[in-house]
Amino acid sequence: MANSSSILQQLGCVRSLFTTTTSRSTTLQTPMVGRRMLSTVYSAKPDPIPFPKGLPDQFYSQIPKRMRPDLAPKKLKIVPPPPAPQCKDAVAAVTQAQLKTLDPSGKRMRLFDYRRYARSVKPGDIIRVTFKNGDPFAGLVLSIKLRGADTSVLLRNQLTRVGVEMSVKVFSPNVESVEIVQRSEKRKRRARLYYMRQPRHDMGSVENLVTNYLRQKRALAGKKDRGNKKR
Amino acid sequence: MIQLKTMLNCIDNSGAAVVECVQVLKKKRPATVGDRIVVVVQKQRSFGSDSTGNSGIANKVRRGDIRHAVVVRARKEMQRPDGSLVRFDDNACVLINKAGEPIGTRMNGVVATELRGRQWSKILSLAPMHV
Repeated sequence: MANSSSILQQLGCVRSLFTTTTSRSTTLQTPMVGRRMLSTVYSAKPDPIPFPKGLPDQFYSQIPKRMRPDLAPKKLKIVPPPPAPQCKDAVAAVTQAQLKTLDPSGKRMRLFDYRRYARSVKPGDIIRVTFKNGDPFAGLVLSIKLRGADTSVLLRNQLTRVGVEMSVKVFSPNVESVEIVQRSEKRKRRARLYYMRQPRHDMGSVENLVTNYLRQKRALAGKKDRGNKKR
Repeated sequence: MIQLKTMLNCIDNSGAAVVECVQVLKKKRPATVGDRIVVVVQKQRSFGSDSTGNSGIANKVRRGDIRHAVVVRARKEMQRPDGSLVRFDDNACVLINKAGEPIGTRMNGVVATELRGRQWSKILSLAPMHV
C-alpha cells in the first residue's frame, strides 16, 4: 500500500515524503476517489508545538496574538442539561389541578364529557343554564368544546324571534346549575350542528319546552314541599 | 362589526325600519353593541300597520333622515368578562337624539346587556328582554 502511494506522490509534495510510513498507512486506507490533486493527499494534522517555557516577558509582545498563551481563546462553558421534568405532561397536570378546584365532585365533567360518559349532554339536546346573577339561558346545544377547564357549550335559542347564541364556559364559577330540559330523540350524526342556524333547519324558540319542563319540575317538587314557588 | 354601509334593523317605534350606518363615532374600528353611530333612514315603517291606528304618533323620522343611533344587537359575537360569548342573528339599533335619549318610546326585540355599562340603561329598561 505504502509502495503504490509513493509512486503516486510527486516530488512537489515534500511534506508527505517526510511523514512516517506507519502513520500514513492508516490515513491512506481511505480511497482517494474524487480527489484531483496529488498535493491534496491526506496527512494527519501535526501536533502543535508546545509553547516554550520560561520565556522572558519582553518577548511576549513579539509573538503573534493568536499564539500567545495568555490571549488564547477561552474555553466554551458547557451548561449541563436541566434535570428531567418531574411530570411528563405539565399541561394535563395543570388542567387536573384547575378542575379539582372548579369541579371538585366531577359532576359537571360527567355532564359534558360526551366522549366518555353516555349519559352526558350531547349536541341536539336542550339545556338550561342558570347563572350566579340569577338570569337563566336556555337553548339547543349546537356544539360542545371539550378543552379541559375551558370546556364550553354553544347554546342557540330564539328570543323575540331573533336568534341568540351564547357560548358558556361550563366550569365557570358564574354558572350555578345546568339542567337538561330535553334530550334529542335521535342521535345526531354531527358533532357540530351549525346547520341548525339555517332557517330551513332552525328549531325556533325553545322557551315553550323550557316552561313546560319547569312546570313539571315544580309540580314534582311541590309534592315534597309546597309553597316553594318560583315566579 | 358595523361600519360604513352596514344596514341595520331599527327596533324602536320612531318610524324607521331599516337604517344604514354612515359613521362610527368615537371609534376607529367597527362598531359593536353599545357604540354610537350615525345612520341614514332607508326604509320607513309602513303607515298602515303602526301609525294610522294611533295617528297622534306619526313617524318621527322620514326616509333620508340622518340620525344618531346606538347599536343594541350585533351579529359579531362579543365576549363577556367571564369568557362567554354572545351573538345575535342580526344587527339592530335604536335611534337617539344628540343628547343620547331614545327618539322612540317603545322597543320590540331582545337587546344585549352590554348596554348597561355604557350609560344606555334607559334603552335597556325600554327593551322587553335582554340577554
